[in-house]
Amino acid sequence: MQILIQQLINSLSVASVTILIGIGITLIFGLAGIVNFAHGEFLMVGGMVTWFLVSAGVPFFVALIGAMIVVGLLGFVAERGLFRFTLDRPMNGFIMSIGLSVILQHVVIRLFNEVQKTIPDPVGKVWVVGGVDIIAMRAVVVAITAVVVAVTYFGISRSRYGIALRASIADQDTAALMGIPVRKYVTGVFIYGSMLAGLGGALMIALFPITPFTGSVVIIRGFAVSLIGGLGNVGGAVVGGLLLGLVDGLSAGYGLPEWTDAYSLVLMIAVLIIRPQGLLGGTLGPRTS
Amino acid sequence: MKKVLFPFRLTSTRLAVATFGLLAPLVAQAQDQELKIGVVAAQSGSFVSAGNTIVAAANLAAKQINDAGGIKVGGKTYKIKLYIRDNRTDVNVTIASARELVEDIGVKAIWGTETHDFSVSMAKITGPAKVLQFSGNSSLGAVLDDKSVAPGGWLHYTFQTEPQEWQRSGSTAKGVLSLLTPLMDHPPKHSVVFVGNDATGQYLSSHYVKALEAEGQQVDLVKYPPDTTDFSPLLTRIKGMHPDIVHFWYNGDSTLTAFPQALKLDVAPAYFLFGVDPGIYAERHLKSDKPVTLSCVPVCWGSSPYPEVQNYFKNYFALGAAKGPQSSVSLLYYDYFFMYAKALEQVGSIDNPDAVVDALLKMKYQGVVSPVPLVFNAHHQVTFATEVCLVQPGTSDQFKAAVEQPPAAPPPGDTGG
Repeated sequence: MQILIQQLINSLSVASVTILIGIGITLIFGLAGIVNFAHGEFLMVGGMVTWFLVSAGVPFFVALIGAMIVVGLLGFVAERGLFRFTLDRPMNGFIMSIGLSVILQHVVIRLFNEVQKTIPDPVGKVWVVGGVDIIAMRAVVVAITAVVVAVTYFGISRSRYGIALRASIADQDTAALMGIPVRKYVTGVFIYGSMLAGLGGALMIALFPITPFTGSVVIIRGFAVSLIGGLGNVGGAVVGGLLLGLVDGLSAGYGLPEWTDAYSLVLMIAVLIIRPQGLLGGTLGPRTS
Repeated sequence: MKKVLFPFRLTSTRLAVATFGLLAPLVAQAQDQELKIGVVAAQSGSFVSAGNTIVAAANLAAKQINDAGGIKVGGKTYKIKLYIRDNRTDVNVTIASARELVEDIGVKAIWGTETHDFSVSMAKITGPAKVLQFSGNSSLGAVLDDKSVAPGGWLHYTFQTEPQEWQRSGSTAKGVLSLLTPLMDHPPKHSVVFVGNDATGQYLSSHYVKALEAEGQQVDLVKYPPDTTDFSPLLTRIKGMHPDIVHFWYNGDSTLTAFPQALKLDVAPAYFLFGVDPGIYAERHLKSDKPVTLSCVPVCWGSSPYPEVQNYFKNYFALGAAKGPQSSVSLLYYDYFFMYAKALEQVGSIDNPDAVVDALLKMKYQGVVSPVPLVFNAHHQVTFATEVCLVQPGTSDQFKAAVEQPPAAPPPGDTGG
């Protein structure tokens, strides 16, 4: 029983970082129609910035904010300098994002070398409750993810900006005629999604070492989460992340361990066949005339 | 008149000096011939931390040989010129690089690569061209046999610069158990080998499991998908198996990711980390109150008892090499530059690869990687001991090293290779 409870707790923490990257992907696709394959590298850059700052003596939670700002700026530059020119041709943007991911990997190798980077556990405690080990930093990651999910969800569903945002997704041209600065919203969402990737990277390096190639691994899971929940749907990303975490935890614990990744992707394929729009329903990207 | 001539003479003198200055190196270069050697390694992509060690070892060896005056072959002096190619962790790029080095540049030998299938692909290009190949993959043992290494065989010019896997596994298992047992409450009986589920991991672990069983261990094998980051579900499963020792096998980067998670989840009373140098253990400030052993590929940066090894790593890092988990992998490549140079000197020609192969097979060479001379067997494989070291519990930088000789024969159930 202890092992089962441990696996359920593991599942929750496995899901957290994936949810953060999934929300970023889903938001950017939902409004801008950009399938940004470099989003994983944005996360990796966030982790590297955190490592750099912590190594320089900056406290972790300050470094975390620094990583969000740097990756947010990276998102701004990428959107304004690259993706803005591909909004009418999403396939170009997709291919461009693959190129950008490789470029970012090599820039990081050039700056920091290829060796994996790690930081000391910012919390460094393990609570033992009823024989179950709860790693404190993982609990912090789950809590931060929960706050980010709540803020994002209510921001989109309740705030004035959120309503305008959803109007832009429904019909960009009409939204623009109503005075909504759609282009600015696209940029804003891209920056916000990028900042979440930066946050994910900072939280990830607090749990595990990262390398310049970490992004290319997590991006697959990020897209799986977004597609399972419904691309463009924030709530869907949360549900998708939790489901994937649960499948990961339980399959690693009770299935063939070497198939752990495969189980998750089988789930994604099954969902996409049975519900092509995702479990909670997604968007097809922004509508334009 | 003098006013006119003096400047002219001065200019002439300067011209003469300048001309001499320009020509002198060319004259010297004309005397020093160039020995073209290729290096194919991952300088980008997922194998980069292993690949860069090959490049760093090659740069160090070439520099030391050239600084010492080069290689004297048949009355001529050769300086090594390295042609380094990044295979981008891609077998197709590896093949293209090997073709370029062999067919366009005309290298006499190639060092690399870091994985079995890449090395085998390269050997299909180097073999027909009679270009020597030095590869540090123990898994080559699966294809190096009487037929393939015979004259005319496709691996006649290929040399495996790492011991056979049953030898390495045997000496490692013995070293790990001998260091851990005195620190445990009871003699260990149950081991879990935790390994990445890729071709190399499967090959290596198949030998290591047999080696542990030969030492009386009951062994469970748990494989994880390559590129796993969050090991907690798998480690929780292992914890439920109640092992005496968890052996993190083969991939140093993955081990350095998984091991701290295992400590937090208190998975086992003792651990073994393969492919993790003590140097990186200390750099990362890892610490465990449980006994931990490390072994390296092949000797330990950070705790080797041999001054030659310590001096090697001093020079290696002084040349700018990164301090990675697999820095000691470089020693699977370094010594063979000197061995090859010695073979060329004995043969007296750089254009007689068959004679160079014969010279290498007869040679005993005292290198850095082993306290006893390196010798290639009839299957073009070397044999040397493995260093295993114990981290003193509660410390990050206190190590006790043991040097274990390989067993005389494969354990029961292991077909060798």
